[in-house]
Amino acid sequence: MLGKLDWSAIPFDQPIPLIAGAVVLFGILAVLIWVVVKGHLPYLWHEWITSVDHKRIGVMYILLASVMLLRGGSDAIMMRIQQAVAYQSQGYLPPEHYNQIFSAHGTIMIFFVAMPFVIGLMNLIVPLQLGVRDVAFPTLNSVGFWLTATGALLVNLSLVIGEFARTGWLAFPPLSELSYSPGVGVDYYAWSLQISGVGTLVAGINLVTTVLKLRTKGMNYLRMPMFCWTTLASNLLIVAAFPILTATLAMLLLDRYLGFHFFTNEAGGNVMMFMNLIWAWGHPEVYILVLPAFGIFSEVVSTFSGKALFGYRSMVLATMAICIISFMVWLHHFFTMGAGPDVNAIFGIASMIIAIPTGVKIYNWLFTMYGGRIRFETPMLWSIGFMVTFIIGGLTGVLVAVPPADFMLHNSMFLVAHFHNVIIGGVLFGAFAGFEYWFPKAFGFRLDDRWGKLAFWFTFLGFYVTFVPLYVAGMLGMTRRMQHYDVAAWRPWMFVAAAGMAVLTIGVICQIVQIVVSIRNRDALRDRTGDLWDGRSLEWATSSPPPVFNFAFNPDVRGEDAYWDIKSRAQQQSLEHEVPEYHDIEMPRNSPTGFVCAFFATIMGFALIWHIWWMVILGGIGAFATFVVFAWRDHDEYVIPADEVAAIDRVNIEERRSLVSMAGTV
Amino acid sequence: MSDQAHVRTERDLAPGEEEQHSVGARILGYVVGLVLALLLTATSFFIAGTDLVWQPSIPVALIVLAIAQMGVHLVFFLHITTGPDNTNNVLALAFGLLVVFLVVGGTVWIMAHLNANMPPMDQIMPMRR
Repeated sequence: MLGKLDWSAIPFDQPIPLIAGAVVLFGILAVLIWVVVKGHLPYLWHEWITSVDHKRIGVMYILLASVMLLRGGSDAIMMRIQQAVAYQSQGYLPPEHYNQIFSAHGTIMIFFVAMPFVIGLMNLIVPLQLGVRDVAFPTLNSVGFWLTATGALLVNLSLVIGEFARTGWLAFPPLSELSYSPGVGVDYYAWSLQISGVGTLVAGINLVTTVLKLRTKGMNYLRMPMFCWTTLASNLLIVAAFPILTATLAMLLLDRYLGFHFFTNEAGGNVMMFMNLIWAWGHPEVYILVLPAFGIFSEVVSTFSGKALFGYRSMVLATMAICIISFMVWLHHFFTMGAGPDVNAIFGIASMIIAIPTGVKIYNWLFTMYGGRIRFETPMLWSIGFMVTFIIGGLTGVLVAVPPADFMLHNSMFLVAHFHNVIIGGVLFGAFAGFEYWFPKAFGFRLDDRWGKLAFWFTFLGFYVTFVPLYVAGMLGMTRRMQHYDVAAWRPWMFVAAAGMAVLTIGVICQIVQIVVSIRNRDALRDRTGDLWDGRSLEWATSSPPPVFNFAFNPDVRGEDAYWDIKSRAQQQSLEHEVPEYHDIEMPRNSPTGFVCAFFATIMGFALIWHIWWMVILGGIGAFATFVVFAWRDHDEYVIPADEVAAIDRVNIEERRSLVSMAGTV
Repeated sequence: MSDQAHVRTERDLAPGEEEQHSVGARILGYVVGLVLALLLTATSFFIAGTDLVWQPSIPVALIVLAIAQMGVHLVFFLHITTGPDNTNNVLALAFGLLVVFLVVGGTVWIMAHLNANMPPMDQIMPMRR
């Protein structure tokens, strides 16, 4: 009846996951009861859960990423403490628990923090920057988000029901095969990634179509803001690379469920094929994450230097070059697998070549800042911090791209330090810069400055104190993923890294305090103009938060830096706005399709993990029925009458006019 | 230049929108495609079993026919053309082909060289004694 599921699945003998699970469960219940008692449920259902508005979905993506960042971060804290204490002892985490923690940390941080954070920012901003009213497929967008949330839910469920994989974040066979991992851990891993992978793929298709097909009047390709270009490149990579991940995990699942032999040691299976395929996805994935971050830095650096982006066309070229070369370097993740010098040399050289377009970008940002009037607001601090940190991470990357050096450093703490250096310094700093930069656009009030700067400095310093010691430990021969060790020389560095983790934690706390303080002082921090930072692209041309239809009129774009252009023309000619004629606007109707679909997908995923076959069929039929009901819908749009559009738009125009006249008097 | 691009943007099709052709012309296109596809399929089955041609040429012929089949599908069923409104589709196809070529070609090359650091078999065999 219940497949492999029984009471032994709940780890009553392990206090840490049980207490953590109980606290989280209690927290969720408390929030739910508060929502129901206060009567917020209809609001939540109508305005957020069923919303197909790209801005709302973007915010929900970022919320999911932030919650998961706390989960992945607590895993990181536990690992740092374990390695600080586990010198010639077992520490406080038994091996099977420690192995689950480092696997969950990697999986969560990549798939459920970095991915939803960048996809959320792209969702929120790209339609605004393109000057359009929504993404190409609004309901599909909601489906994509909720399937990602399903994946995150399943991973976290493994904390209290059953176990998570003990195989590392990429579940290499033969360890992840049934003979070495008979439990449900790898199944939790694989099914949550399969389900959230579908969500990521539809998000990718949606955003590619949006950039290619939905642009406002006059917005041709070479007038798009840089963030739209990096979004295009990143989502092209999603569309091309994620099917490889899905196929590879599907083969692993066939091995585990139906006795196939793709990656087994016996019966003609080939373990090496898994490494090859997973990294053919895994390396483009790195650029899927970091390209949008590059776009964010381009926007931020150009805005806060008060200059157009230096070398816009070379930036576009570099972005598209990275998009293609990222598919030619994947072997550098397994130089030591046995390929000969010719294969290793070619992939080593390709890996060094990809540093060139990245270097072009760095110089472009530096030259954008050169001679500009730089305002050191919080997003700009994150961007400058990124440039310093990412150059160090990039250089250690070029170092491990040399095969002989990689033979020394493969699987060492040096490697761990390197990829944290580029992912934290690149993706996370980028996500935070975008968060600080566009938060006022999403909510209509700015974030508290003092706490934001404190958060930056603690995170920035904490990062170096945590990860520079790991470089040293790697040089001293320490391998990654060690539950305990007996080498005295490593221990001081593990202490320093643990201290750095404490500083990083203070940075995260500052960030939380910043949000709380800003929400409490939101009236004082209110931005009425919609153009808080003196921005250059079209998202600043509408109010903050933007109305549901984004723009009352499709903006007419006549050059790069569209909004800057509009503003300077308005100033030069001191145009008196004639009263425009407003029209009705059609917007897509909200739909519970995404939420219901993900509900059934969760049931199906859980049942597949525990081999509860009747429930698998139930979930599958439910998800399909949801799709059929959606496909047979009659009314998918509603009309906002012209009067209402006019009323909303006039308020914003008044605010802007008063700002311009005030600027004129000063 | 910018004006041209402007005009093109307006003529561009929204996602899911069909090109405006008369029903007759569209049906004719599909019928021609179907006939060509069937012809290529039948030829493939015929070639595979025949002894009328030089035997080693059969795999090559099958590959050529398969590629022609893909071409027919792309042109008649997926409506890839060289027209200006089709640039996106052609570029997407080219990108897809490039990625498939890189991943499949790279994989074959990598997997064929995995044993490069192993000693040759005649040196391994004496070690077993």
